[in-house]
Amino acid sequence: MSTSSEPTSHSPVRRTLKAKPFSRADRMFFGVARSASYFSVILIALILVFLFIRATPAFQSQGIGFIFGSNWNTSNPHHIVMQIGPMIWGSLLISVLGIILGVPMALSTAYFIEFMAGKTMARVATLVVDLLAAMPSVVIGLWGLVVFTPVASHWAELLHKALGFIPIFANTSGNFSASPFIAGWIVAVMIVPIITSISREIFSQMDRELINASLALGGSRSSTFFKVVLPTASGGVVGGVLLGLGRALGETVAIYFVLNLIFKVNWFNIIENQGGSVASMILSKFGEASDAEISGLMAAGLVLFVVTLVVNWIAAYIVNKAQPWRKL
Amino acid sequence: MTDLSAQPRPARSPWETPNPSRAFKVAAASTIPAGITTVLTLVFGIDPAVSVLLIFVPLQVIFAIAVGRNVAGKKGQGDAVLMFTSVFFTVLVAVLLTSLLWSIISQGFSAMSWHFLYQNNVYIDPTTSLEYGGVGHAIVGTVLIVGLTTLVTVPLGILIAVYLIETRDKSRSTVRTLVQAMSGLPSVVSGLFVYSMLIVSGVTTYAGWAGSLALLPLMLPTVARTAEEALRLVPVEIRNGALALGSPAFRAFWQVTLPAARSGIITAIILGIARIIGETAPLLLTTFAAKNTNFNVFGGPISSLPTYLYQYVSNGYDTSTQRAWGAALVILLLVAILFTATRIIAGDRKRPKKKA
Repeated sequence: MSTSSEPTSHSPVRRTLKAKPFSRADRMFFGVARSASYFSVILIALILVFLFIRATPAFQSQGIGFIFGSNWNTSNPHHIVMQIGPMIWGSLLISVLGIILGVPMALSTAYFIEFMAGKTMARVATLVVDLLAAMPSVVIGLWGLVVFTPVASHWAELLHKALGFIPIFANTSGNFSASPFIAGWIVAVMIVPIITSISREIFSQMDRELINASLALGGSRSSTFFKVVLPTASGGVVGGVLLGLGRALGETVAIYFVLNLIFKVNWFNIIENQGGSVASMILSKFGEASDAEISGLMAAGLVLFVVTLVVNWIAAYIVNKAQPWRKL
Repeated sequence: MTDLSAQPRPARSPWETPNPSRAFKVAAASTIPAGITTVLTLVFGIDPAVSVLLIFVPLQVIFAIAVGRNVAGKKGQGDAVLMFTSVFFTVLVAVLLTSLLWSIISQGFSAMSWHFLYQNNVYIDPTTSLEYGGVGHAIVGTVLIVGLTTLVTVPLGILIAVYLIETRDKSRSTVRTLVQAMSGLPSVVSGLFVYSMLIVSGVTTYAGWAGSLALLPLMLPTVARTAEEALRLVPVEIRNGALALGSPAFRAFWQVTLPAARSGIITAIILGIARIIGETAPLLLTTFAAKNTNFNVFGGPISSLPTYLYQYVSNGYDTSTQRAWGAALVILLLVAILFTATRIIAGDRKRPKKKA
């Protein structure tokens, strides 16, 4: 028994099975599928190449100042200045604010749904979070403009009164609306459902035995959460946060509604009535853009795309690493 | 003699027995801080935001620690704080979401009427009263644009999924990575791409099909990935069984795999539609907005619900904001319908799996 099942040196070399489509119909079927896939590859390459070609004149005429400078003046056709430094910085500032505000909310909600709520409550909460994830951003933007801005500018005013001596909460204009603070909240409302659903998914797929072992060894719920659940799930959570960051960077219309776009770097005065966002800037400028200006907008779009791509790739890598049980 | 007959099991596990003093303490700790805060806020007229942050949160933390320590010893402190933090932020999320939903529903219904759903925007100024005009043309536009995109994207997405699942090509991981990268394409960049390629260069004027083209790269990754997941769920035995019975691969796919994955594929389609139905920026750059009802996707500006909303928000008058809320409600209803459909279909898919 034991000898027959063990491989010996006399056993034949293992054959590799190769199935190739042999009928014409099959070849056509797989050919169509293959060409559809290659079409998607070509499409993304086409977008990148086209953006790059159209953006080149702007990069050439503006040089490195395109990314770091802060001026946009296209009134004189012989001397066009296009520098989007404040917009890039503004996009990053808003995204970071959104993540600072959104991550605690998202993690708490995920913890509540997965570990605290009863079955019915958890189902309702999941449904609601998923519905929020499907909410179009333009609708959130409308809500942000009409309903949320008055409330949030009141909060910002209180912050300024209490903590105005700290530069972050300084405000010289006396106008608390249309600030990065409000845009950050709006972004938070958009990314909370994304981060929540990914974290919840990861929490729920975690090995229950790990948690039970920690509890059985005398760990409290909080020490179990911070020392067992979070470290195990950290990869997935970070990936979810980065996916949210990708969404925040590309957010256009909602931020356009609630933010005052100014071509002057607002380093960290988050409740000042000025800020920037690359995507919203593109939307605000394209209408009456000349050919040279469109090239500048293309360059801005390219910068945004590349940043988002990098963020997304890192996110996908981390999420896949964090879920070894998920086969590709 | 000792009684060796079986004893009835206790109805509850020991840790589930009710403990009145503990229940009382927990109830007290969860209500007293809120009560004190409410009273102080009302008596001294403190701003609610300030009182929540400076009175309620510290008080509640102190109470939670005290009761946690009293009930479960040192171990209970951290648990109580964690529990409070979790509930606090969850309630914050719930409040934000409720505010969002409630304002859309209440404000939207005040603009809603039957003619709002079918009339178009000709002869309507930003200040025209709500008795005239509506989003009929925008609904038509959204259906046409999204429909055209769906018509092109769904076969493409399913074919990509087929390529990723059914073939063993070497470039599968490249395709998968690039499709995933496509999902990171900012929507405004997609719109700018089509705007610059087709409209600035004069291939076409503002038109519905340009909008559909701009939406394609946004919808494709969603459809492809979800369809891939759906095809992956089909047991490999069924597929191999069909092949072993001598059917060609395309027939096995068409008659066995695809029907088995039907609900998943439908979910993929619906999720894809939900992804693009509210996209605004790409449509603003490619279809613009029209006042009249345009049934021709291949010519002339065409309005859609998101661009209609955008247009009326930018106007700034009260009635036009009302119209924007009405459009928001229509979008929300469309999303909710799609969402419910997904839930029902996904539920159908999961039930037999659990039985097995």
